[in-house]
Amino acid sequence: MEGEARFFQWQHQVALVAAGAVLLGITLELIRKRRLREEYSVLWVVTAVAILVAGLYPVALEWVAKRLHLDPAILMTFLCVLFLMAILLHYSIVISKHSEREKGLAQEAALLRDELAKLREQVKELRKAPPEPKPKPPALRT
Amino acid sequence: MTQKPNNGRGSRDVDLGGRRAVAIIPAYNEADCIQRVIADLHGRAPWTDVLVVNDGSRDATSERAREAGARVIDLPVNLGIGGAVQTGYRYAWQEGYDLAFQFDGDGQHRASRLADLVGPILAGEADLVIGSRFLAGRGMTATGMRWVGIKILSAVISVALRRRVTDPTSGFRVAGRRAIQLFAREYPQDYPEPESLVLLHKQGLQVREVAATMRRRREGTSSIRPLHSVHYMSKVLLAVVMDLVKAPVRLEEETV
Repeated sequence: MEGEARFFQWQHQVALVAAGAVLLGITLELIRKRRLREEYSVLWVVTAVAILVAGLYPVALEWVAKRLHLDPAILMTFLCVLFLMAILLHYSIVISKHSEREKGLAQEAALLRDELAKLREQVKELRKAPPEPKPKPPALRT
Repeated sequence: MTQKPNNGRGSRDVDLGGRRAVAIIPAYNEADCIQRVIADLHGRAPWTDVLVVNDGSRDATSERAREAGARVIDLPVNLGIGGAVQTGYRYAWQEGYDLAFQFDGDGQHRASRLADLVGPILAGEADLVIGSRFLAGRGMTATGMRWVGIKILSAVISVALRRRVTDPTSGFRVAGRRAIQLFAREYPQDYPEPESLVLLHKQGLQVREVAATMRRRREGTSSIRPLHSVHYMSKVLLAVVMDLVKAPVRLEEETV
């Protein structure tokens, strides 16, 4: 890389490392407070770590960009868009799963309420009916 | 088929061979019509139980239906037509019904015609029978863009099912035990009438049609309004194509 203009200045590196650390900190804190389920936090942890790595070893990003004959800035933008798309797709899947579950639960609740009403009715009728004489228990010893 | 001719008015005795039937009526804000619909069923198809699935109505649909002597299941939230009808199928499956009719809550369908549907199921030829408005060539037919839309949809569904289906959007239908099981497990949400036919086909279940006449629908209550036909049809076609590529549902064998 000697002699070439470096894409990342040291200020950029500091900013990236700081951003990565803050994101990682926020994510871990949310998990700790149980406000974010681990299941949904994976993407965020991965992103935070990726930003940290980019800040600590900017050579890696520059190397990849060179290999792809891309400007590092374009590569960064591309990676950002890719990541956002992944998050959106992930949320669409989660929403689909939840709406399917919500539908099933609503149906189950309605069916159970109907069942409950039916049972209540039966209990009421049983209470009204005269008690049947209890069958005598069979003698234990003869 | 050994069906006697029917003038469409009086009730007809149907020999279900000991099978039990339930008519599922999905209802959303139908307080004005629901009692007439239930009375029609009690009067002209007394051999079937009546289940109203109240889809979170804001009016007195539930109370009116109970007064009229129907069994009512109240959904705690509005699920839309697909979710409401599926609730009915889940009920039918749990309660062990052999036949489950779908019947509109707005008075469009005729209870006196229910008996026409059951033939192919009793004969073991079909798992779902649709009452088609277009087979007999009389009675109510759709007009204008809606007619074109239904024709296109019917062509696509017919190709997909490799069997002629003239009225895929008809909600006047009856499901046999296997279709009840499938629908209790999986039922399309967005455009359930045409989509459910694709679902049945993918599971290897049989669909048949019989001729049925319907009453003219009151203005503005159809989910297929002429102005929206093109939009509606493109969305339905997309949904149907998506259904064709979906993986099949795995059902447990029913242990008798």
